Amino acid sequence: ISDQKPLGCWSVKHGQILTCPVVCNFETHEYIAVHDDKVLRIWKNEDINLDKAFKATLSADVYRIHSLPHGGPVVLFRGGAVRTLDVLLEAPQQEIENVISGEVIRWSGAFMEGQQPVLIFTTEKGGDFFVYVQKPKLSSVHRYKLEQQESAKPLCFTAHVTNQTVTLLCLYSNDSVYQVLIPLQQDTEEEEEEEKEEILSKSLLLNLSVSGAVLKGTSLVVLDKDHVAVLGSLAAPGKERRECLTIWNTKFQTLQTSKELPLGTSGQLWCYEEKFFLIHGKVLTVIMYKCETSSLAAAVGKLKDSQTPDVSLFLNWNTLEDEELVVSFQSQESVALKAESRMNLRSRSTAAEEQPATLSVGQRLLNLKGASTYVLETELKKLMAKAPTPDLQATIGCVVTALTDRCKRNPKYYPQNFLQEIVETHNLSYSLCPDLMSVALEKNDMHLLQMCLERFPDIPEEVTYTCLKAFLSMSEAHLQSIDVDVDSVICYIDVEMDDKEVKTEIVENGFSAEMDQDMCDTKFPKESHFRSEEESCPVGLQKAALLNAVLHSAYTETFLLPHLKNLPAQQAILFLRYLYYLYVKCSEKVNTTLPGIRSPTINQIMDWMCLLLDAQFTVMVMLPEAKELLSNLHKFVRAQVRFYSELNKIEGSLQELQRLNHLRESQTYSIEVLEII
Amino acid sequence: QRIMVNHQVDKVKRECVVWAIALLSNGTVVSADSFGRVQFWDWQQGTLTESHTISTSAALSLAVSEREDSMVVGTSTGATYQLQLLPVKLGGSEKRWVRTKPFQFHTHDVRAVAHSPTALISGGLDAQLVIRPLMERVQRKGYDTVLRKFTFPHRRLVSCARKARLLLFQFSQYLELWRLGSTEETGKDGEVLPVCRMPEHLVQLKSKGPEHIYCSCVSPCGTWLGYSTASRFQLYRVRCDGDGVSLSKVPKVPKLLPPAYQLQFSADSESLFVASARGSVHVFQLLEPGGCKHLHTLQPPSGCSEAVYLLAPSADGHWLAAVSGDWAIHIYNLKCFKHHCVVPTYGCAVSALAIHPSTNNLVIAYSDQQLLEFSIPERQYTSWSRAVQSRGLHRIWLERDSPITHIAFNPKNPSHILLHDTYLLCIIDKSLPLPDDSALLMNQSALKQLPETARKRQLHAFKICKKFQ
Repeated sequence: ISDQKPLGCWSVKHGQILTCPVVCNFETHEYIAVHDDKVLRIWKNEDINLDKAFKATLSADVYRIHSLPHGGPVVLFRGGAVRTLDVLLEAPQQEIENVISGEVIRWSGAFMEGQQPVLIFTTEKGGDFFVYVQKPKLSSVHRYKLEQQESAKPLCFTAHVTNQTVTLLCLYSNDSVYQVLIPLQQDTEEEEEEEKEEILSKSLLLNLSVSGAVLKGTSLVVLDKDHVAVLGSLAAPGKERRECLTIWNTKFQTLQTSKELPLGTSGQLWCYEEKFFLIHGKVLTVIMYKCETSSLAAAVGKLKDSQTPDVSLFLNWNTLEDEELVVSFQSQESVALKAESRMNLRSRSTAAEEQPATLSVGQRLLNLKGASTYVLETELKKLMAKAPTPDLQATIGCVVTALTDRCKRNPKYYPQNFLQEIVETHNLSYSLCPDLMSVALEKNDMHLLQMCLERFPDIPEEVTYTCLKAFLSMSEAHLQSIDVDVDSVICYIDVEMDDKEVKTEIVENGFSAEMDQDMCDTKFPKESHFRSEEESCPVGLQKAALLNAVLHSAYTETFLLPHLKNLPAQQAILFLRYLYYLYVKCSEKVNTTLPGIRSPTINQIMDWMCLLLDAQFTVMVMLPEAKELLSNLHKFVRAQVRFYSELNKIEGSLQELQRLNHLRESQTYSIEVLEII
Repeated sequence: QRIMVNHQVDKVKRECVVWAIALLSNGTVVSADSFGRVQFWDWQQGTLTESHTISTSAALSLAVSEREDSMVVGTSTGATYQLQLLPVKLGGSEKRWVRTKPFQFHTHDVRAVAHSPTALISGGLDAQLVIRPLMERVQRKGYDTVLRKFTFPHRRLVSCARKARLLLFQFSQYLELWRLGSTEETGKDGEVLPVCRMPEHLVQLKSKGPEHIYCSCVSPCGTWLGYSTASRFQLYRVRCDGDGVSLSKVPKVPKLLPPAYQLQFSADSESLFVASARGSVHVFQLLEPGGCKHLHTLQPPSGCSEAVYLLAPSADGHWLAAVSGDWAIHIYNLKCFKHHCVVPTYGCAVSALAIHPSTNNLVIAYSDQQLLEFSIPERQYTSWSRAVQSRGLHRIWLERDSPITHIAFNPKNPSHILLHDTYLLCIIDKSLPLPDDSALLMNQSALKQLPETARKRQLHAFKICKKFQ
């Protein structure tokens, strides 16, 4: 509250005492006060004098009045009886029965359960605590005894109602919060039940201690299903007690936040509409709070976006196609309705004309289930030949799925050319036809896999890895016989691998024999042997092309790494050798790019190299045949780093020169010829 | 009800200044303060309902859209921020104010903001006015959907002594006088010629006191120089002898109250016109070796409450055109110091005007980019001007944001009018046909690629060069 000045003020006459908190009746905007235990006063904002306000004297002492948003005020008497204000005002002097005897009310709370006000209060008698649940409109009373806690007693209560159950939270003097669940029974057999005393068991919800310090709570408020706020004083050994307001996460048993209140409080805490109200020193302080939905991600600070929309903006293609297959027997109209609701998800502009096409896809595919291979393929081709509609992608996805389904059912069937044609001509993605690659892997269709890897933007890392492993394990002889697109390798790979004569050129870009020498290597003959080996490609043309396809695919490091760890050592070394070869090839050119279509970029090569080394680090260290390769790689990289650091220096000086040049230019005064036609 | 805004930050002992407030129709008071916060207050209870720290620097200005679902806040770093009332959940009914878009168009203090239905408008102390369209609120692309920036002032800050080849540059606290460089060679289009004589910085004249220079002028012969601040008018004599330049203040300049809104020397450098309040123009006679005397005061016959802000003398010393703040253009006869006529009022501010040296036609540029030519001897619009009006100017020309600030004429070709604004230089050739909307307005580069013979058909009156932006 910014400026603490009362907006309205009313006082009772001298000698009279207000005996319970004043409440506001939300429906009539009237205030209700009780003074001298029995006298009820009701007045409005515009009434100035409380003396002249409506007055009613009751026959019993009032403990408290609770005002409920849609249920009107409810009055709780010291004797435990409950009346709604309406009933009470009809006959103020009516007799009020005693529900409790010898017990003292310690706390009370009121809620709405459906249309019913529910009043809960706790009483104490000789160290025992009792809980009463009353429904004044049904005049039903339930009495429970609270399970005892050794050497501790409840200090503060708070409760809320969810799903017909009252959750009562009790702050105990042993610095713990206990939870008690009380069912709100339907009042059918209450007569019999009331005979025996029910004992409510409690469970420990939260221990108010944080790294040695203990919070001596004085009041407790529930914020949401996972958060409670406790006002109290924090007592750490050897430190002064400090009063503070704390918010605790009950799910993770953690202290979420705390705010020190150095001026001291009254020990009371209220909470309405995401704001705390408390008396801090001499002023009423209002503190706003916000509780994020509790999740582990939030607890460790990794929650990305708390406002993720509930509705997914992406269409699940799988459900689309299943739905279509299923609904084909239903009547046209109902299908049309369904289709429309689906269309809404994607885009509103796809008008109604498109629907019959999509519809018929599902129908036709179902009809074709039993058809012969030839009929199937011609029909599918017809389907795809349709003019491009917004649904074309989905249609093709369905077609491919139909084909792969058939492949799975019939092991002999595999329409290689047809599938390749589809992948080549349409922008498919993995998620549109998830089975396609697994079928291709099964059938060892390397070409199709290569195409998928090059074209699909969303291949799961596991599948990428499986492809990589399959490519590496395939024998060169077998690969020679199959048709693979070698566009990506043909431009840089050394075709005449046997001809050692041509390998005399020295690698540029800082990798020279002299440099190697000063890098502590004396095994000259052996090194030259390795060099020539390194300079020729360790894999064949086809295998290189397939591996390039893997290098091209999109991946996330974290997901790929665990799979790469499983790569057999020999294959890992072969792959690393190939990557090294590519790296050296790249470095030969000034612009560090490989010639050719879809040849891997230097970044892709480096990323994969790092990834492979990370994944296979221990294996590489252990294997003797990896040793030479790694040491060569190390030397080469070191030479490159030196070379580039030199280049960096030159770049710096050139930039400075250019800057100076530019500066001078902008200062010059010039006379220019301008021809205006 | 009194709301204390700084109550929240009691740790910081700085004072909190509320720079802007807005009142929403539901009774929420919105405040923008020097701690960079935008806060929402319940005006009846005086309680804080929401607080958003927009920036680490002060929030200076605030404006709310008419629908009250969006607001714009200007800060002292030159950034403006948009806050929008958005549903907490997609499709939900609970709405919260969320800071959505930051914009950085100004260098520092954004002192004024406005929120139109389709755009955010901000004005800063960097003398820029920026209109940023909200693309989500506009249906189709067009003139209204472009980011527009206006740089102020829309005034000439450079004056030229043509005969003496001097330029006078006006800065906020000082003046600089330069002699132009020259070349002895000629060349083809786009060539940079060797400078045989470098430009020369002759003198820097600092204005005394904290006041900004309001207007300044150098005489065509280059020997007189005058400037005015909000309280003082100063006249100097410039003497160039060999390499040295001496500047002497003219003593006993007639006291003017208030001082000049615009200064203009006559073409023969023998008199000085001083634009003054209530539509009046003072005529001073300049005396050798360095003196000045009040000769006459010209005033519109019907009176005027606004000050004169633009002056244009004719080359023959016969006429003077004066524009006052009510946008009326009065023409005076200087031979007999009499009011000659008024140019028919046009409902727009005049941004520049000049009198043609040979025909005494007054060319007027308005802030809505209209161009008019008024014959002073005949007291009516010229036929060319009527033709322009009936034909209409090119759409692209009219959609320009920057007003014409200066008009001049080609001494070698009387049909040429030279105009410029902040971004372009334009030569209007009255002998050529006007372009219609289908023609390419800025056709210079296209023309240069055409062979000489083919150019003829493509030529139109507006020759625009945007090379020197």
